[in-house]
Parts: sequence; structure tokens; C-alpha cells
Amino acid sequence: MKQLMRRSMLAFLATSMVAGGLFAQGGKEAAPKAAANDASKYEVTAPIEITWWHALENQYQPLVDEIVNNFNAKQDKIKVKAEYIGDYATVNETLVAAQAAGQGLPALVVANTPYVAQYGAAGLCEDLNPYIKATGFDIEDFGEGMIKASSYEDKQVSLPFLISTQVMYYNKTMADAKGITIPAYFKDMDSFLEKATEYNADGSTKVWGTIVPGWDQWYFETFFLNNGVNIINPDRKTTDLNGPAAVETTKTMGNWMKKGQAYFATGKGASANMRQAFIEQKAFSVLHTSSLYNTYVDRCKDFEVGMAWFPATDTRKQEIGGCVLLIPAKNDQQTKNAAWQFLSYLCSKDVNMKWAEGTGYMPTRKSVLETEEGKAFLAKKPAFQCIFDNLDNIYPRIQHAGWNQLASIWKSYLAQFYNEGKPIEGNIDQMAEEIDEALEDSLQ
Amino acid sequence: MKSIKPRTLDHLKDFGCTVPALVLILIFTYWPIVRLIQISFTNWNLLNDSYKYVGFKNWKWLFTGSGTKYLLNSLKATVIYSCGEILITLLGGLILALIFNTEHPGYNVMRAVVFMPKYVAMSSAAVVFLWMLNTQYGVFNYFLTQLGFKPVDWLQDSHTAMLSVLMLTGWRAIGYGMIIYLAAMRSISKDYYEAAELDGATYWQRLRLITLPLLTPTTLFLFVTTFLSSMKVFQSIDILTGGGPYRSTEVFVYKIYQYAMVDFRMDRAATMALAFFLLLLLCTAATMRISRGKVNYES
Repeated sequence: MKQLMRRSMLAFLATSMVAGGLFAQGGKEAAPKAAANDASKYEVTAPIEITWWHALENQYQPLVDEIVNNFNAKQDKIKVKAEYIGDYATVNETLVAAQAAGQGLPALVVANTPYVAQYGAAGLCEDLNPYIKATGFDIEDFGEGMIKASSYEDKQVSLPFLISTQVMYYNKTMADAKGITIPAYFKDMDSFLEKATEYNADGSTKVWGTIVPGWDQWYFETFFLNNGVNIINPDRKTTDLNGPAAVETTKTMGNWMKKGQAYFATGKGASANMRQAFIEQKAFSVLHTSSLYNTYVDRCKDFEVGMAWFPATDTRKQEIGGCVLLIPAKNDQQTKNAAWQFLSYLCSKDVNMKWAEGTGYMPTRKSVLETEEGKAFLAKKPAFQCIFDNLDNIYPRIQHAGWNQLASIWKSYLAQFYNEGKPIEGNIDQMAEEIDEALEDSLQ
Repeated sequence: MKSIKPRTLDHLKDFGCTVPALVLILIFTYWPIVRLIQISFTNWNLLNDSYKYVGFKNWKWLFTGSGTKYLLNSLKATVIYSCGEILITLLGGLILALIFNTEHPGYNVMRAVVFMPKYVAMSSAAVVFLWMLNTQYGVFNYFLTQLGFKPVDWLQDSHTAMLSVLMLTGWRAIGYGMIIYLAAMRSISKDYYEAAELDGATYWQRLRLITLPLLTPTTLFLFVTTFLSSMKVFQSIDILTGGGPYRSTEVFVYKIYQYAMVDFRMDRAATMALAFFLLLLLCTAATMRISRGKVNYES
């Protein structure tokens, strides 16, 4: 009986909302009133303390404190407590555990971009569309790729927060001295690496032309995508990673490793090793995330750091990295309302610029680029011009339930090809079979 | 009304005293096992609140489907690790105990030094080893290259990765094995040795015919406890290798963790955890049965 009454109520509410929508469309003056009514649903009516889980390490603590304190000071209803949980994987584990337990969820939480689809599919995140509509939040000001990367099936389940993309860092001082230009095309990588690599008298590598991060496929998958490889075929069950284009790309990269022009960095300390090699000028260039721009610039005292878009083809696709912000759907409405206010603040244009300046992440707002703040940002970090020029080429990451397994198999095989000399021919088909099996399996 | 016998009342009182502990064991040990069995028959994705019962689908996947090869790979990695840890703890511990089984004050200090790593948290020790084993900047390779050897890719080579994990394990566990063996050696009556010496027995004869047989209960204890703990290895693998390279260190517990927390497949994680639980149960029972009659409790 109760259920029936609840259903009737819901039907009545839905009808009222639809009718409201129709009337609102009918008269121009009715719209602001309806929006105002909607906005009142998302207001915070009583003082509340909320928690924000983030992954910004100790070095960013002063910036986090400044931004949170500013928010706490500018209004008197919501008190935000920021908690550093750990890296993205730890945040994911903690969030998933809290979700499964149904308690201890934060009001607001960061999530690495690849998790958006899984969280969205499971209904973990609050659909932000009604909040956006009711409060007039300017969502269109984010780049298209960013909106797609933070939504799931037309639902805006999160908002872009600290966004990065793949870039090539290079030793600009060395490049100027040797007259080396960073290739715009993948086909020019061979000649670039020949110029950039230096060898010792015994034939061993003295300065690597580049270092390919093998610990995360995100760093090299765009080489494949831009060369026309379907990492996941449209049937969602198979891969094209053993197709002619993929084999060619795999072999080309293998030749760089064979000649000692590049190395495939794997294992737990690989990221730090790669960074150190670049800082010590043992590598001319490295492929890494744009979010580490400040780190590279701060640590490379003896030379100027340059930043370039990845060598590509006719398509210059790259993928979004970093994190989004989401509100867990299981929270009560008051907490969600408070979280939305804080989320809007964190993603607002002014605060976004603060994040961009204080970290290596990029501005997420298109309008910022034309403003004085945007110009000032570029004057301070001119290397970011290559990203600003390519904002429309930043795409969402591939979303598939079997993606983690695919990535793990792919990385493992490439490491065997490049680091242990396993032949590519034949084994690449075996790799594709294993991936196909994992993809199909993940859909069951 | 029939009165309760005093003896029965005593039994009831005794039982009443154990109830709080029993309740805790039921809640925290047996209830999770019951839930695990239940989950293994569902399609529960950790992120979802709801799930469906799918019968034996997960069990089929594990034993006859695509899960089998990962199960076998994890079994292989776990067995290799377990054998390594047992060998280090038992053999290494025994050798050190034989060396340090003396009353000299200097040896007391050395015993403490050997045992000390056991007190270092595994996570901290693993992070230190991660850097010591670093190919480019690690201290191990520094010494190797100083001695004219080529640097070793300790954690990125599938042939040396498990050995590297075992180096950390050995550093921590060998002192524990030593202390347990030492305590057992000290409890062996000196009369046996005095009688053997009078009969002209050599050191090796005394070791083979007195010390080792009388250490069998300790060896069994160390074997079972080390076996169980080694089968559950996780932290060192997680920090040092992350299951790699090429799944060569992807032990059971790490694989279960991956199914649950990376793939969010709680159903598969539960199935594999149960299979692992049954395997441990069988192995422990087999060990106890095989060792029956071969353990000397004389001392």
C-alpha cells in the first residue's frame, strides 16, 4: 500500500514537473521563476559540516588550505573539512569500500578520469544535471572532451577538476644547442631520435632520445590511436592491437628500444627513475603528464624545460587525464546540496585558475583563455601554449569494463617485447587473443 | 520442576564465560565466510547495491573458464614464494640458531640484531627495499657494478622479481625462525648431550641424532605457521612488484585484491578467496596428517 502511495506521489510529482516544464517553455517570464524554485531545492538551509576527499599530496597542502578556508569564510552555513586520502587508487578503494558499507561516504570526492564510467554505471554518483540546470551553472564553458569525460550516458555525473593530458617534456637548452625540433608527426620520430640520442664509446646509450612510460598505457596509447588502431573494436569484444597498423606501431617503437634511442620504463620506481634521468640530462625528452610541469621546471635547474604536444598523424588526438569531482548519490539531500555549493566553488573560473597556477594542471574553462587571467597564465607558463592550441583534440578516455585487464595484458606483452626481447611476430596475436577473451569475459 | 545438577550448572557457567568470545568469533570469522560463500553464487559488482544469484557460474569460470589460467598462475607464484619463505625461515633459522646457540654476551647482541627486522613494519621495509633494488640508483646494483658485474633488473625481470621479494622476506623472517629454534634448543635436556659425548659422539652425530629429532615439534610448528603466513603474502608484493613483471609475482591474495578492488568483480574475488581457503584447509590438514607419528615430543 505504502509503495503504491509512494509511486502515485512520484507519478504526480513527475507529471507536475513535466507540466511545469511545458508551462515554463510557454511563457518567457515563467522560466526564471521556475529556475528560482528549482534552485531553492538545492539550497543549504541549516549549518552543516562536510568532508572532501582529495588526492593532493603534502606539497599542495597550503593551496588546499587557502581555497578551503576562503570558501569557509565566504559563507556561514557550510564548513568544509578537506582530507587527503592517498593516490587515486587509494581514493578509489576507500570510496568503493564506503559505498559498499553504505556509510562513511564523503560529501565530495575526487576520482581519476577512468573511473567515471564504472561509477556512473553503478549509480554511485549523483546526477548533477538538475543542480546545473537549477543553479544556472555554466557547464558549456568546459571543453567538449572534458564534459564527455566527466559524464556517463548523458548524465553529468561529475565535473572536470584537475585536468591534464599527455605531453612530451624536452630539454629546450639542449634542443636549441643541437638545432633539434620536436616532431609534429609520428613518422618523424625515427629521425628525431637519431639526432637526440647520444652514445658512449662502447656503444651504450649516454643520453636517451626519449623514455616511453611502460607502467601506464595512457602514455603510449595515443600513438596507436592516431595511427588508426582501434584499441577496442566497435563490437566491444575484440581488439585491433594485432592489426597491421598496430603491428607497425609496435615494431616502430621496438626499433627505438633496439637502437638504444628510447627505453620502455616499467616497474614500481619507473616514474621516479624516468624523471631523474631527465633531470640529470640522461634523457633528451620524456613522455609524461602535463600535471607535472611545475615539478619538472622546479627540479631542472641547469636547463630550460620545453613542453610539446605528442607527435601524431593527421589526427592529433590525446586523452584526458587527472581527476573529476563527484557527489556520492547515497548521501542525504542536505549534504548533497552543501557538496554542490562547494563543488561549484571549486570548479568556478577564478578558483580553477588558482588550481592551474598552484599545480601543473591546466585551466579547464574555455573562457579563461581569452581573459586577462588566461593571458597572465600563459605569460607565466608559456609552454602551455601547445595545450591551449589543442584543447579540442583532448578526448575522453576509452571506457570499457574490461579496460583494466586489457591494459594490464597489453603493457605486460609490450614490456616483454621491448625489455626481454620476446619476438613481436606471433606473440602479438597471442596477446590479442588474451585481450579478446578478457574483453568478452568482462561483459558477462 | 526438576533441579539442575551442580555439575551441569558448572558446565553452563563455563560455557557462559566463553559466549562473548564465541559471539565475536561468529561475527568476525564465520559470518564473513558464510557471506563469502553467498557472494560466490552472485554477480555482485562491488559498486552496486543489488545482485542476482547466478548459480555456479563463477565456479565454472574459475575451474573451466578463462579464470583457470589466472588461478594456475597465481597458484604457481604462491607456491614458489611459499617454498622460498619456508626454506629461508626453517633452514636459515636453524643454521643461525646453531651458530648463535651460545652464552657469549656478544652473541646476545648479534641475536637481537638478527631478530630486529621482524619489528620493522613490512610496508616500511618494502619501500626501503624498493629503492635498494632500483636498477639505476639502487645500492645492490651499485655494489655489483663496483665489483665488475652487470647491474641486475631486480624487480623488472621475471627471473629475479620473486627472488627480490624473497630477499625482503628472508631479511625479516630469518631472525624469527632463529629465535624459535633457539628457544627449542635451550629446552632440550643437556643430559642427552652429556651421555652422547661420553659415548664419543661427534658434533654432527649429536646434531643428527639428538638436536634435529627433538626439534621436530618446533619444525612442524614453524612449517605450519610459515606456510599459512606465506600463502597469504600481499604487502611486499603490492609495494615491490604489483604482481609483475608479466604476472610472475601475482600471488593468490594479490589476484583476489585485483578482482575486488581493481576490476570491482566481488563475485569472482569471493570465489577465488573460497577456493584459496579450501586449498589452505586441505594443505594444513595434509601436513598435520603426514607429520603424525614423525614428530618427536620427547623433549
